[in-house]
Amino acid sequence: MSCTRSQAREQTRKGGRSRWVAGGFALLCAVALGAAALSAPEHLMVPDMARAYAGPFLMPPFGADQRGRALLEYAEQGASVVAMPSVVAGLTVMAFAVLGGLMSCLATGWTNTLIQGFGEIVGALPRMLVVLVVALVIPKDARGLLPLALTWAFLAAPGAMDEAAAVSERLGGTRFVEALRAHGYGRPRIFGWHVVALNLRPVVVRQGAEVMMQVVFLEIALSYLAVADDQPSFTHADSLMSWADLLNLGYPSLVLDVPTTHALVLGLALIGSVALVAFSLGVAARAR
Amino acid sequence: MRRWWLRPMVRLLAAVSLPILVPAIITALIWALPGDPASIICPPETCGGTAVLAARWNLDAGPVAFFWGWIQGAVHGDFGNSWRLEQGVPVAELLRTAVPHSLLLIALALVPVALGSVAAAQGWLTRAVDPILQVVGLVPALVLALVAAAAVELTYGAASFSGHAAMMRLLAGALVLGLADGALSGAITGTRAVFLTEDKQRYVGVAVLRGERRLPNTFPNVAPALAGQLRARVLHLLSGAVVVEAVLRIDGIGDLLWSGTLLQDFGVVLAAATGFALLSSGLLVVQAVVEIAVAWYVRWAPDLSLAPADLP
Repeated sequence: MSCTRSQAREQTRKGGRSRWVAGGFALLCAVALGAAALSAPEHLMVPDMARAYAGPFLMPPFGADQRGRALLEYAEQGASVVAMPSVVAGLTVMAFAVLGGLMSCLATGWTNTLIQGFGEIVGALPRMLVVLVVALVIPKDARGLLPLALTWAFLAAPGAMDEAAAVSERLGGTRFVEALRAHGYGRPRIFGWHVVALNLRPVVVRQGAEVMMQVVFLEIALSYLAVADDQPSFTHADSLMSWADLLNLGYPSLVLDVPTTHALVLGLALIGSVALVAFSLGVAARAR
Repeated sequence: MRRWWLRPMVRLLAAVSLPILVPAIITALIWALPGDPASIICPPETCGGTAVLAARWNLDAGPVAFFWGWIQGAVHGDFGNSWRLEQGVPVAELLRTAVPHSLLLIALALVPVALGSVAAAQGWLTRAVDPILQVVGLVPALVLALVAAAAVELTYGAASFSGHAAMMRLLAGALVLGLADGALSGAITGTRAVFLTEDKQRYVGVAVLRGERRLPNTFPNVAPALAGQLRARVLHLLSGAVVVEAVLRIDGIGDLLWSGTLLQDFGVVLAAATGFALLSSGLLVVQAVVEIAVAWYVRWAPDLSLAPADLP
């Protein structure tokens, strides 16, 4: 028995360590991306053809494009395009998830039906179709990622609410709240601490992180498709570069003899870092 | 159980209304944009005859007249003309080429998803593979589609769009759709979760003790949940098809929707979006039919609340 207890303690300690490591990594990456977004220049540097296609060693840290402009500026501008809308979308979904979980704790039956009905209506169409229709009607001078990110968050909300409601139901729903009230706890402590912070946290944070990641991927996909067709992107002003421009710049190195592999690697690394941040946030918020 | 018909009826109602609602909303949005629709296609400062064009394309009588005219035409297979993408070309012609490609792409992409679901239901895949699946599922469709496009272009050339190359583009696109954005991992973990929850029910343990197989007992009860998951997966694939078709240059309805959106070709977007709405309606109908079939099957089962002597 003591052996089992010590094993369990050891597992909890290891789990706690992995959560801290994941949380630290996510924070570090988020700070780096945030700093990159804040330091993004308004316009790319003046072309310098002598440095065209320069690699990371010739023009640190990431090299240059076909006109000798630093890829670092592409990365910074791309971060500035996605930073705020993805965070807003993530927070929106988290708010919806908390609402779904709390509604399930406050009343049963009709709330679940309401959430499911909302999900059925909102989720009846492919998300990309709804996003493209929204993109279609945004005036050209008001183009930006935020309306598309909010649309995506709204479409993802029913799933998040449903999952949070399921967690609350497993917890006991209204009976759990009544039991804590019987202990003399106040509403802020019951809902804020016991329901949201201790029990809904893993689901809420994971859903928020996933939507943040999806919004970044959505921006890259929409911008790449537009850039590949020589058209302006729906998600940012023409003066800005997206991470999709790095992929577009690097893609020819796969099929032609163009020395832009460093741009492709940088683009993929940025995408990978976003996926890792989302994954790490999910791990960091896991239940003990 | 008393109101078993409610959910399928809501789904059928949604299925009927979607193909009308989607073009209605897009029509309303066209008129909500600054400037009248005719001047969007043909700005008066750059091209003459805007009024003639508006009259020819039924854009001069307001949104309601345009919508009813469009719906009446669509019922007879006439979706109007392309405004910008291929100006003047009937959209029905574009759809005739695009829809079969998209349907084939989705059907092929469903193969790995369905195999994953079957393997999860049968318990052939252990949880040990979950981390690998999760990592693969994190890769966005765009990245995998670019890799697939590069592979096809290196093998067949950049301008290869017919014969074997076209089939390879479809197969590569289907593989990308089936793997990327968590399609396969979601199918496996989702199906497994449904069956694991059902396996905890007492009747399953009793059936196993009686020497019966687990799956035939649980399947009728999990069928509605599986149908719901299948609908969500196909919608997910349809969403991803827009990116995959555009990157791999597959002449499908997703590519058509993307090109129409990019060029603000409302004629094409209206028809392509309605095509997507029809596919979504079809999925809703399938789910409703499964739910009705299961409910009927359950109603045929003997009522266990009756005393043994009352049973036939």
